[in-house]
Amino acid sequence: MIFNEWLEDDTKTILFDGGMGSEIIKRGLKPGKLPDLLNIEEPQVIRSIQQAYYEAGSEMVQSNTFGSCYLNLKNHNLEEQIVEINQKALEIINSIRPINHLIVGDIGPSSVFKPPIGDASIDMWQSSFKKQVEILNSGVDLWHIETISDIDEMTAAIRAIKEVSSKPIISSMTYKKTKRGFFTIMGDSLEKCLDIQMNEGADVVGANCTLGSNEMIDLMKEFKDLTDMPVSIKPNAGKPRLEGTTTIYDQTVQEFTQDIIKIINLGAKIVGGCCGTTPHTIQEIKKKMK
Amino acid sequence: MSIEKLNVEISEAIVNLDKEKALELAKRAIASGLNLLDVVEHGFGEGIRKIGDLWDEGEVFLPELMLGGNIMQEAMELLLPHLKEHSESFNRGVVVIATIEGDIHSIGKTIVGTMLSANGYDVHDLGADVPAEKIVDEAINANANVIGVSALLTTTMTGQKKVVDILKERNIRSKFKVILGGAPVSRKWVEECGADGYADSAVDAVKLVKELSSSK
Repeated sequence: MIFNEWLEDDTKTILFDGGMGSEIIKRGLKPGKLPDLLNIEEPQVIRSIQQAYYEAGSEMVQSNTFGSCYLNLKNHNLEEQIVEINQKALEIINSIRPINHLIVGDIGPSSVFKPPIGDASIDMWQSSFKKQVEILNSGVDLWHIETISDIDEMTAAIRAIKEVSSKPIISSMTYKKTKRGFFTIMGDSLEKCLDIQMNEGADVVGANCTLGSNEMIDLMKEFKDLTDMPVSIKPNAGKPRLEGTTTIYDQTVQEFTQDIIKIINLGAKIVGGCCGTTPHTIQEIKKKMK
Repeated sequence: MSIEKLNVEISEAIVNLDKEKALELAKRAIASGLNLLDVVEHGFGEGIRKIGDLWDEGEVFLPELMLGGNIMQEAMELLLPHLKEHSESFNRGVVVIATIEGDIHSIGKTIVGTMLSANGYDVHDLGADVPAEKIVDEAINANANVIGVSALLTTTMTGQKKVVDILKERNIRSKFKVILGGAPVSRKWVEECGADGYADSAVDAVKLVKELSSSK
């Protein structure tokens, strides 16, 4: 398994992909529509984005399945299409995956919260993720559980995967920076998250979204102090704003790339980008990594 | 116990998320015949404002914020029947609030709604993914003073402008103050939309609504 070899090679930094949602939106996704629905309706759009990432230098790219666990599909009244949406996602990425490059099964948040905010439980989450994992397992090389803000939901996702699959898991939470350090909006500290992710058997721990590259440098320093596990970092390209009807990210690719190099130097094993980053960002990181 | 001391205890009970104590103090305020408007404003309201500040500072998180709001709501259920004769003066205005169509991000909007309720506004929370036309219709039906529209995505922000445009089309723009919320919203966007203001946090949202209500 290539991924495990990469993990064991101390000299290797793995280049992951960049933003998917923000790229789809650029290509004219209508507001309110679930990006994963394009797997069925406009597969060529998804294919072209994933191909652009592989060509830019991403050694592994994610399936377009961020929003396709059972509970999130149910929020969009699409739960009956869970098999079709996830299967099409696999067909699309499998058709353009270059040799020796990996397909990562993307698992995003359920959008349902536990009490006192909502009525979700670990069991409910686990069963929702399991339905998705069962469909994706045959076609992916490893998993990326991402943008999770409740460590209990992450626990459920890891357990769901382990029930079905023996493939490696990158477990990536989303943190906000507070005066007292990095926490999820549910109040889980970085230290608590890392302990649980390690105990549940994640292969790689990480952070994505919410924070820009600059803040991720500080977060990476804390990761380094708290764990010896391999770390994956995928920052946003700063904060988006709207000009007319176009979304603008003010941070330059150069600034982002420089920060990523600092993050690599601090010991990140896997780097890429989240919202607002593009194939061009990945290309620039690749140039700087050489 | 003096009303000042009671208010301090109530505020502390809210910040400590001690529901039992908060409700017991509410009952005591009713039984003692205290000025309940004062208790709501400077006891419960103060506690909620403090939790809001702690959220902004990263000292408390979403569960605490929701719990605090829930305790406040339960206390209000006890107090409201006794407040009836004063309800006109307590009720600062009607706010219709929603996350715009296409956007299911409801947390920020819910927090703002809870904070506004806690501060004496009659809040009609329409939920998330609400069409612009419906927001306007509900605002008319509720005889609202303020319409709050939240959008977390740059793709759905255009719906915020649509709300203002519909109000203009129907020649009722001046009847409502329109405020915008959500991470990507900026002062420039508010101007482009022709809205009345925006706030970066729930605490600022309450300040904004107060300012706009008094500037009428």
